[in-house]
Amino acid sequence: MLRMTKCCIMKERISDIERNILAALQKGLPKSQSPYKDMAQKIGIDTEQLLKVLEDWKGRGKLRRIGAIVNHFKIGLSGAAMVVWQVETERIKQVGELMAGFDEVSHAYERQRSEVWPFSLYTIVHGKTVENVQQVVEQMSQKSGISSYRVLVTEKELKKVPPTYIADE
Amino acid sequence: MDKTDCRILDALQNDFPLSTRPYEILADKLHIPCDELWDRIQKMMAEGVIRRIGASLDSHKLGYCSTLAAVSVPQDLVEKAAKVIGGFSEVTHSYLRKDDFNIWFTIIAVDTGRIEDILEQIRSALSLESSQVLNLPMKHLFKLNARFKASS
Repeated sequence: MLRMTKCCIMKERISDIERNILAALQKGLPKSQSPYKDMAQKIGIDTEQLLKVLEDWKGRGKLRRIGAIVNHFKIGLSGAAMVVWQVETERIKQVGELMAGFDEVSHAYERQRSEVWPFSLYTIVHGKTVENVQQVVEQMSQKSGISSYRVLVTEKELKKVPPTYIADE
Repeated sequence: MDKTDCRILDALQNDFPLSTRPYEILADKLHIPCDELWDRIQKMMAEGVIRRIGASLDSHKLGYCSTLAAVSVPQDLVEKAAKVIGGFSEVTHSYLRKDDFNIWFTIIAVDTGRIEDILEQIRSALSLESSQVLNLPMKHLFKLNARFKASS
């Protein structure tokens, strides 16, 4: 297939054990005081073996972290917006790093431009209220000197689920 | 949520111990009894403060492709569009936003062919023009840190 791009060419063949671990891991840790032991049992491997694979994934960056996924709306951060910035290619690295430096920014990505959508830098900005978010965005604009941007306030979360890497068999 | 809950949330969002008894390690670190830690976590899960305890994986390093996509749909089509888009298991996040492009969603799929396939199915199900669908794959990641400080 010609249209496959680099992320797919890099695809390594994962072992059956890794596949089973991924399938068990993708839905979250079991609600148990010994979650890895339970997960290992379900997969049919030793707990040590499971922990070894996870350590290995961690070392290679496949696993970013294990931890709690918090619903920010429930801890007083009700304001959120995706802010898209029109940045010239020569400045993207500098501006991207500057934006990433804001505590209120959880995500900062450079994305491909589209003919109908000229923005290249994408940031998700959080705050207690939408007004707080607007204030931070103004600071981001001032600091970076980027004046062409759009604030796309989150009106509603329609779906949020962990990725399904291995479909149910 | 009291101070202890906030401390637990902050600790729990960082690296959850890779160990046979992870909650005991966390409880020691927070200087609270393990049973109390467990009960408080269960309560925050029931309240929806904690969505889950799970792994954040790098989909690209695992060999998957991803993108951010958006559609521009008229107001009366929003509900149908949300349903069509959310119906794909590869769509992980979807948000209604205030803009001409009003539904934004992320896709994680086995390859770019499947991503294009999904977008084409969405486009045709909603009778949209190509210019009403955006496919914006990532070129560079500057920051990904969806951890939120609970204690101030």
